[in-house]
Amino acid sequence: MDVHLIVNGERAHVDVEPRRTLADALREDLGLTGTHLGCEHGVCGACTVLVDGAPARACLMFAVQADGAEVTTVEGLQDGDGALHPLQEAFVAHHGLQCGFCTPGMLMTAAHLLDTHPGADRETIRAEMAGNICRCTGYQGIVDAVEAAGNARDTPA
Amino acid sequence: MSGEPTTGSLGRSVRRKEDQRLVTGHGRFVTDLELPRMRHVAFLRSPVAHARITGVDTSEAVGTGVRVFTGADFADVELRAQSALPSYVETGQPVFAHGKVRFAGEPVAAVVAADRYRAEDGCELVEIDYDPLPPTVCAWEPPEEPVHAEAPDNVLLERTFTAGEVDETFAGAAVVVERDLVTNRHSGNPMECRAGVAVWDAADRRLTFWNGTQVPHIVRNMIAELMDLPEGNVRVIAPDVGGGFGVKAVLYPEDVALCLMARAMPGVPLKWTEDRAEHLLAATHARDHRYRMRAAFDGDGTLLGIDADVTCNVGAYSVYPWTAGIEPLMAGGLLSGPYRLAHYRATVRGVATNTAPSGPYRGVARPASVYAMEAMFDSAAARLGLDAVEIRRRNVIMPEDVPYKMPSRLVDDSGHYAECLDKALDLIDYPSVRAEQERRRAAGEAPIGIGVALYNELTGLGRAASAGPRMPFRTGHDACTVRINADGRVTVFSGVTSQGQGLETTVAQIVADGIGVTYDDVDVRIGDTDASLWGFGAFSSRQAVIGGGAAHRTAQAVQAKLLDLAAGLLEASVDDLRVVDGRISVVGEAEPRISVAEVARVAYLESHRLPEGIEPGLEATRFYDPIRGAFAAGAQVAAVEVDRTTGELTILSYVCVEDAGRAMHPQIVDGQIAGSIAQGIGGALYEHLVYDTDGNLSTGTLLDYLMPTSAEIPEMVIGHVSRPAANPLGVRGVGEGGTLGPNAVLAGAVHDALGIEIDTLPVSPSRVWEALHAQEVRA
Amino acid sequence: MKCAPFDYVRPAGVGEVVTTLRQAGGDGKILAGGQSLVPVMAMRMARPSVLVDVNRVPGLSSVETDGDAVRVGALARHALLQAQPDHPLLAEAASWIGHTAIRTRGTTGGSLAHADPSAELPVVAVATGATVSVAGPDGVRELDAAELFTGMMTTSLADDEMITSVRFPRPSRWGFAEFARRHGDFALVTAVVTEFGDELRVTLGGVSAAPMRAHAAEEVLAGGGSARDAARAASEEIEPTADLHGSVPFRRAMAAEMVRRALVRTGVEE
Ligand SMILES: Cc1cc2nc3c(=O)[nH]c(=O)nc-3n(C[C@H](O)[C@H](O)[C@H](O)COP(=O)(O)OP(=O)(O)OC[C@H]3O[C@@H](n4cnc5c(N)ncnc54)[C@H](O)[C@@H]3O)c2cc1C
Ligand code: FES
Ligand code: FES
Repeated sequence: MDVHLIVNGERAHVDVEPRRTLADALREDLGLTGTHLGCEHGVCGACTVLVDGAPARACLMFAVQADGAEVTTVEGLQDGDGALHPLQEAFVAHHGLQCGFCTPGMLMTAAHLLDTHPGADRETIRAEMAGNICRCTGYQGIVDAVEAAGNARDTPA
Repeated sequence: MSGEPTTGSLGRSVRRKEDQRLVTGHGRFVTDLELPRMRHVAFLRSPVAHARITGVDTSEAVGTGVRVFTGADFADVELRAQSALPSYVETGQPVFAHGKVRFAGEPVAAVVAADRYRAEDGCELVEIDYDPLPPTVCAWEPPEEPVHAEAPDNVLLERTFTAGEVDETFAGAAVVVERDLVTNRHSGNPMECRAGVAVWDAADRRLTFWNGTQVPHIVRNMIAELMDLPEGNVRVIAPDVGGGFGVKAVLYPEDVALCLMARAMPGVPLKWTEDRAEHLLAATHARDHRYRMRAAFDGDGTLLGIDADVTCNVGAYSVYPWTAGIEPLMAGGLLSGPYRLAHYRATVRGVATNTAPSGPYRGVARPASVYAMEAMFDSAAARLGLDAVEIRRRNVIMPEDVPYKMPSRLVDDSGHYAECLDKALDLIDYPSVRAEQERRRAAGEAPIGIGVALYNELTGLGRAASAGPRMPFRTGHDACTVRINADGRVTVFSGVTSQGQGLETTVAQIVADGIGVTYDDVDVRIGDTDASLWGFGAFSSRQAVIGGGAAHRTAQAVQAKLLDLAAGLLEASVDDLRVVDGRISVVGEAEPRISVAEVARVAYLESHRLPEGIEPGLEATRFYDPIRGAFAAGAQVAAVEVDRTTGELTILSYVCVEDAGRAMHPQIVDGQIAGSIAQGIGGALYEHLVYDTDGNLSTGTLLDYLMPTSAEIPEMVIGHVSRPAANPLGVRGVGEGGTLGPNAVLAGAVHDALGIEIDTLPVSPSRVWEALHAQEVRA
Repeated sequence: MKCAPFDYVRPAGVGEVVTTLRQAGGDGKILAGGQSLVPVMAMRMARPSVLVDVNRVPGLSSVETDGDAVRVGALARHALLQAQPDHPLLAEAASWIGHTAIRTRGTTGGSLAHADPSAELPVVAVATGATVSVAGPDGVRELDAAELFTGMMTTSLADDEMITSVRFPRPSRWGFAEFARRHGDFALVTAVVTEFGDELRVTLGGVSAAPMRAHAAEEVLAGGGSARDAARAASEEIEPTADLHGSVPFRRAMAAEMVRRALVRTGVEE
């Protein structure tokens, strides 16, 4: 089936079987391999992308459902001139990643979190990020990074 | 030789080299690989734990145009983990089960199709007939039908460690404590499951295998041997790997199958991405152990003797190449931990069952053995009316005892345990936690308890220390190649591998400082057996010590070449030259004379300027082997609140102090510790792989296999004691220590809070509630 | 972990949904949020031949006040329930469902139709005496939530029926308590207390095949009993089964404790 969607601000088209997940279409048909698959049953959060601005598990959506939708993946976080998104920068600065496999999903969840809970404290961050599993960091660096990015945002430049 | 660099990168938390690509979605994981004509593989797995295979029919699947491989195709290839230990019963692991299946999830066939969806469709059409056999799930119950004919009692290995006079010691002891402890089967579960892409080049008889492995050189060696190929014709590439934790330090039948199938389909790249259900079923499990412990103490709490009987459930196969000995031997070798002990007897055994094979998982056996050992102190302290901290202090190995010969004959070179403990108690503010505990007791508020664990971790094992399991290889050394390119920048081809530990970064730091160039001028290539000479890979917290040591030695060798050449060019004495931040100067002069880049240009492009007797090029390759190992000390202390109504624990504070020796990158060191504690907490409280009595895994998805999230893991306080080790960089491994404490700390905290002994893990709400309930019934 | 093949249909109206389901002859499935259906399809434990995607059926996504109740469209996402101010109990219950990325997709209709005994919304539906509107070949019928749930993950819905909306009456007072292993996990026990008029209802999830009213506990309360007495009564009238997370006595104890907490939160005397 033909699917037309906007991915990271650009028009995209894929021709897929109905059963193909959005995650597989992004990764294999559009070459956006930043979206990772850690469980394919909705629990780990590695595949989290923004669909029309809201976080969604790309493993639990079929690509055909995204027809006409706007999808943002980790590849779309950087701004046009290639500078890192403040969250990406904070993850680097605060050692919010080790193997980096959970990172794309973490970043997308955190991006939405900071939009909806500006100034989130550590406890809120811990609760809201609980839908994404990281096996490496023990979460310390991730919470540090999200907190720092949130604080930086709240402080006008 | 150069003097001390003024602006070295070691010891600073420089920006990690790997992060830019990983935070932008440009990581290079095996599953990201897309090659022309690539086909996808799905494995068909046994739905039963133990059965004879009585029929295999692939015709319907083949009729749909897919390619199918079954046990008959590769029946001549077998993975046989070897050990020279006298009691070891060697058994084989087939590529695809044929004859019989030994655990639910064992691969029995594979389908190759245009995409993974179609490959799974094909699996549904392959018919396998099973004639069930009685399964054995529990390692301490006698089998009805052995897993392997070679071991009728299922015991694949048994060994007794002894020292001193155990029976006499117990006979004369003031206090003997006894506990029967069972730890919960769980596993590493890296966020990226296993993955491989194999392609066979028939014209040159060459195999390329991208594999999400911790041990690419071992994989190359073993694949070459199993497939009867010249080792140089096998290239193994481990690009970015999404976590390993030991699970990926194993060569699996799926890996071998992928390579064999690729050879059968020349020129067609075959890709397999393990899904989470497969991972939970068939990647190695760990920590399914029973410790029957007895400890003898004198009246003031001095530990006199330990008498232990340890059974480890090793699953259906002796894991390749580490053998079924990996967990039991580690348990027996390090059970006494950082404590002085003269009289010791521990019989350890590895018992096969119809469950997934057990293999290395971060901390190998010690999260369980530390729990067993610390339980002895907690029980003895309660009996003797001693404080949990005090009884440990009386028995711990002190710096003046070092080198201390442990009863298993390993030699502890640390002795910094009490120092770690003191610092941990400071950080948690022990007196005030005790005061709060008393206050709550008096006020009838929710009880809190304090748990304590001390541990020693043998890291960076050289050839003498890695002798334990008597495997046909010794993992004591790694190689490194360092090349200064013609533009003066440096490329390192290191034998280390990384699954998140940041080795690209630390190796670059070591080499930058070792030569005297900036961190940014160094690029590190890892994980490709065609690029690096040799490395055993990531396990046993060995890489910082061994791979790091190799990088350091090699950098020094290259620096020596660089300075020889520079000395010739400058007509100066080598001894007077210094190289700092890529510039070479003469001692006593304010300005540098020449840059590394200019010297490098001569080395490669301007041979006419080469001084007499100096070869072109600036490159060296060196090995490093520390011969022995370096013990890393650790202490963990936590305060935990218990909800008496639900049995739930809330960790109020968690402190860990470790001696990592010299911290090359403090942030990475802390990250390793925090991550391993989180895994330890997961194992202590949540994670449990449960089989039913038929041998079916009951926890086959992440809805049932509970890994802790940011909401469960507490804020951690990490402290350091930095006692440089006796190796060139002064480092001790830190990759695993964190996992060693939580079982003991959390079970100990419950004991401290409620006076109940937790003998079976995990410390789940129901377990705590049942114990409390039993206590109330008794009262 | 990839789904078996299916045909995909995206009807524009409820009528078309029902017709498509009917034509599929029992082999069709509605796809709403997909947060329960897609995982089981990926594991090939469900393999509908036709998937009827209702996500673009208009008019089913709102939450509206309707007298002394709130009418929730079948496609109202958990995130919307959580954010709406008109039915605080629904908002509280929705906040316990999974995680943000689950709640942005998962729907009210899907949760009720899926009928997981550990799910939050079915318990609230029974606790509030919700009315479920169901469209089928013969038009729309209404049924009581208690009649919807017939057993473990089974409902009285026919293969060609679709939930279109649910009317949740608003209790005058309420209390919610849940016991789960981790943040966002399905509940081991959910207890919901609701007050309508002078009647206190106690409803439990996770302790039986379908959400159940704890009548014995309610009687204790009607007779002026304390929260503790009612909790004990609730724990004795249920027939939980042992599982990975605990024994029967443990589950009884957790049910009692959650009932006690929900009652206290409602304002009932300990
Ligand atoms: C990681 C994770 C955690 C979760 N945690 C929780 C939790 O804690 N609590 C909880 O309650 N749920 C939880 N869920 C499930 C989630 O709430 C689902 O959204 C919900 O159970 C089903 O809603 P859905 O819209 O996604 O339905 P779908 O998955 O689309 O459908 C589920 C079933 O309902 C049928 N159906 C859907 N809509 C209708 C309709 N309008 N009429 C008739 N039939 C219909 C479908 O055919 C299917 O059989 C979790 C899910 C995940 C992946
Ligand atoms: S891969 Fe989608 S949630 Fe795990
Ligand atoms: S960084 Fe490895 S899983 Fe999070």
